[in-house]
Amino acid sequence: MTQNMSQCLLRMVEEEHVLADYQSDITPRWCVGCGDNAVLTAMQRLCRDENLAPEKTVCVSGIGCSSRLPHYMNAYGFHGVHGRALPVAEGVKIRRPDLNVFVTTGDGDCCSIGAAHWIHAVRYNMNLTMLLHDNQIYGLTKKQASPTTPIGTQSNTTPGGVYLEALNPLTVTLGIANVSFVAQAADWIPDLLYQILRKAFHHKGFSFIRVLQRCPEFMNHRFDEFVRDPSKMRILTHGNGLRLKPEVSRIYKNQETHDPSDMARARAIASLDDEIPVGVLYHDPEVPCYDDLRAGERPNTPALIKTVLNEEFDRVAIAAGDGPAQKVAE
Amino acid sequence: MNQANPSQPLPNSPAPVPQGDTPLRPALFARFGDLSSLRYDYPLVLVQGQGSETVLRPLSRIIDDVLRICSAPGAADEALRQQVLALEGSIRSRIEQGATGKLSDLWRESVPGLLKSAGEKQFGPMDRNLDRAREDLDLDGLLIGCNGDTPHITLSHIWKAVHDERAKVFRKTVDGFILQIADILKADYNKSDDAHKADALRGSVGSTDSGIIDFHKLSAVLGREHPEGRLPKARLRRLEWVLSILGSQRFFGPGRSSGRGLLDQAPHSHIFQSCEVALEAFRERLPEVVLLVKALSTAELEVAHKYNAELHDPIISALDESDLTAEHLRLLPPALVLLRDGKSDNADTVRAFEALASGLPIKVLVQTDDILGETTPAPSQSSFGAASARLAAMAMGLNNVFSCQVSAAHIYRVGHEIVRGMQFDGPALFSIYSGATETAPGVAPYLMAAAATESRAFPTFVYDPSGGPDWSQRFSLNCNPSVTQDWPAHSFQYEEANGNKADATLPFTFADFAITDVRNQRYCHMAGKNAAPERLIPASERIAHPDGDSAEPEPFVFAIDPENRLSKVVIDTKIVEAAENCADAWGRLQELAGINNSHVVHELARARAAWQAEHREDAPSTLERLSAPTPPADSPVAEAQPQPAAPDPAPQADVSDAPWIETLRCTTCNECTQINGVTFAYNDDMQAYIADPDGGSFRQMVEAAESCQVSIIHPGKPRNPKEPDLAQLIERAAVFD
Repeated sequence: MTQNMSQCLLRMVEEEHVLADYQSDITPRWCVGCGDNAVLTAMQRLCRDENLAPEKTVCVSGIGCSSRLPHYMNAYGFHGVHGRALPVAEGVKIRRPDLNVFVTTGDGDCCSIGAAHWIHAVRYNMNLTMLLHDNQIYGLTKKQASPTTPIGTQSNTTPGGVYLEALNPLTVTLGIANVSFVAQAADWIPDLLYQILRKAFHHKGFSFIRVLQRCPEFMNHRFDEFVRDPSKMRILTHGNGLRLKPEVSRIYKNQETHDPSDMARARAIASLDDEIPVGVLYHDPEVPCYDDLRAGERPNTPALIKTVLNEEFDRVAIAAGDGPAQKVAE
Repeated sequence: MNQANPSQPLPNSPAPVPQGDTPLRPALFARFGDLSSLRYDYPLVLVQGQGSETVLRPLSRIIDDVLRICSAPGAADEALRQQVLALEGSIRSRIEQGATGKLSDLWRESVPGLLKSAGEKQFGPMDRNLDRAREDLDLDGLLIGCNGDTPHITLSHIWKAVHDERAKVFRKTVDGFILQIADILKADYNKSDDAHKADALRGSVGSTDSGIIDFHKLSAVLGREHPEGRLPKARLRRLEWVLSILGSQRFFGPGRSSGRGLLDQAPHSHIFQSCEVALEAFRERLPEVVLLVKALSTAELEVAHKYNAELHDPIISALDESDLTAEHLRLLPPALVLLRDGKSDNADTVRAFEALASGLPIKVLVQTDDILGETTPAPSQSSFGAASARLAAMAMGLNNVFSCQVSAAHIYRVGHEIVRGMQFDGPALFSIYSGATETAPGVAPYLMAAAATESRAFPTFVYDPSGGPDWSQRFSLNCNPSVTQDWPAHSFQYEEANGNKADATLPFTFADFAITDVRNQRYCHMAGKNAAPERLIPASERIAHPDGDSAEPEPFVFAIDPENRLSKVVIDTKIVEAAENCADAWGRLQELAGINNSHVVHELARARAAWQAEHREDAPSTLERLSAPTPPADSPVAEAQPQPAAPDPAPQADVSDAPWIETLRCTTCNECTQINGVTFAYNDDMQAYIADPDGGSFRQMVEAAESCQVSIIHPGKPRNPKEPDLAQLIERAAVFD
């Protein structure tokens, strides 16, 4: 339309944002040392660097420590029902495709009560960015085992230790039809967390990021060996994936060049036991998005709804006159 | 292979050229006496409902597509193939007899006759086969033959297909704005006192109200609540104004999502028979364009909640016609002007060139039925005559005009180019020769049109200014036969006087095309029966060497009479001159397409001469060069020196005694800032750094380093030597340095 003119007029009122513009008035109530802080910072940095309008940004969450994140973002938010962050986010996105929608969820919220929504969200491949804060425990309710809690871990619900092998969110996600973006980050490497989040944001489709997150209260020391020994972190680099800054590269020397389009290798990396992979495991920009496939050709105006309904009613209505029904009767 | 079947041998004595209703035909027409038995580009289906992707499709290709889907290779489906091809022939005959209609209708109407002639019954095997084939028919549309109406019907159809797509995009944008603005107004209304009245609340519940809700009490409760801020009155007025303009625009009709226009006025028409009227309509509609531009810009800002009255009001209100740019004019659907040489006033065609030169989005069709023109030199009042074959080339001179010249026979082949011309943002001229020339009675328009292209009288070309920056990207001559040759040549089989079969290769020249016109037959005569072969020369050779002695020998072309008797027809200087003009014009078009480009030819000749001269002078030195020893094959030409590996940059050891933080690795966990919010602070990326090394004690520094989850704080040395327990603290700090 009058794109150039409108762009000029919009530029007149364009605002440059700083990080504080995305910080809400509420001080984060996460524990000191909690990895959620790093995720919040990465998201706020992304919003600033992409100059996302706060009123065009939405954070949707379920229930849990991680799900408090929308309160701390100065943007629209929906702190929803346990496990149901994804359906809410999908509803927002399909009605308002112009909004930037982020989903924050935890390992209990996503992998337990919300598992069905997680699977179908991956399959729908709508243009959303999802962060799974995986601290491997229910923290908000003071230490109960979640699906990702390592076997043998004692918790309030498993005093004798967890009986089952933990679920691996990466291998599960990589096994779902239409998967298009899978990455893993660790909250203690904030620069890579930010880079991965940025990659995910620019991916058109459903971006799944598992963030390994330290819980200093209920899973203290869980990741200490990995935090203290950078060689146990396998950093995935590639021209289409992460590119390390020299400062980071110097510390994390265990690097693998991994092509994110290689699904077989992505699955092998996701199954590593003794090392934690960090980076983009899988990326396929060609997977169709449900929101594109289902986007109407016309805006759903009241006039269109009325017209379509009337057309449908006319097909079955029995009316005096020479309508279709009358013709059938004749 | 073309074949003449003369019942008589070549004439050896002078004979008068038949006049009036029994004109001569070029010899190469022999094969095309009955077009109905051929499968060619007509009848043509004007495809509906497939956007601009597929706008035209010949019936023969549609039938081929259907057969490819519904019949298996081999003998099993041979009967089906024959039956469907017979149906195609039946439809073709109906079209030639003047029938019109959609393909699906003509298919249905043709079946009973076909069954009857084949002696088959309804629902019998043939009927079932035809029905099976019909199910695989995946497109439909009006079927047309090639006649005097073809160009304007086809162009109007393509214009409409492009217009419909443009309308779809326009409506999607405009309806989107209408919907979003209506949402804003609705949200505002819901905060109003009116929306909180009992009746309004009852209405919002609908007919399911069972009396359990007391709407008066609910209204009283809601009324006590102070609604959030209502929209300012000025903004409300602005939004309502935008809605009224967008809802009542008349450039594109209302779509299904827009409902009926607010003013209930018919949308503007964009197809005209005169440039004068089209330009007048354009002038009249300019104020509406201005309003629409204002409304769209305002809407875009409003739905983004970015409208700032103080900044934007002066700009929007000051916008007038003189501010309109090409970008704004693209809002207007392009006008289509249908002109017909010989029927429209010449002044209108001249006016069309003015309109094209102005750059307005106007698409002009100039249909020509006669490209040979009158034989008198006096210019006609209503026709450009022979110059009509140069109109598109003239439009190319305007530089920014999409120009396309094509005869009706090749419209299908340049269908995509015509679509591109309609989609082109600027003006476009389509010059189309219909082939329906009245002075060539008895020749099918398709044949005339094809012959015009074949003979270079009306070559096909496209000039697309949006194709790229140079001629090679903008100009295309590819749709012409034998594009690198002066004239296309065809093999020809005939029978000699003694009954022997003979083959020949005949060029199809302008002169061959010209003799089909009865007006030109006064400028030719039959070669004498006893004419010596050396006294005759093929017309193509004479045209190729125009400066030769025009008296001898005489140029001739092969022609046939209605009985397919082959003759040599000598042509007069007038036809030869016209053919020379035609060949010259074709040569210039070839140059534009990069064929036999005279600049290149001259430059090549010059370079060749220079090289030869240099070659002669430098011969010894060249020999010397050739005899110079060559390096051994195994000696490396340029050995790559192994680059020393870049040393791994050493960690930046902090040689000073000052404390420091690896800020890039900070996880914002608040440990350090909780210990001392003065010493430790967050930077713009919310990562910690030492804001003030003297802001706290060395003890706090050591404790922060110890509690840091990712061990990135390095305490350095104590700043205050009098601090207690320093020895112990220094020992604790050592592990971090």
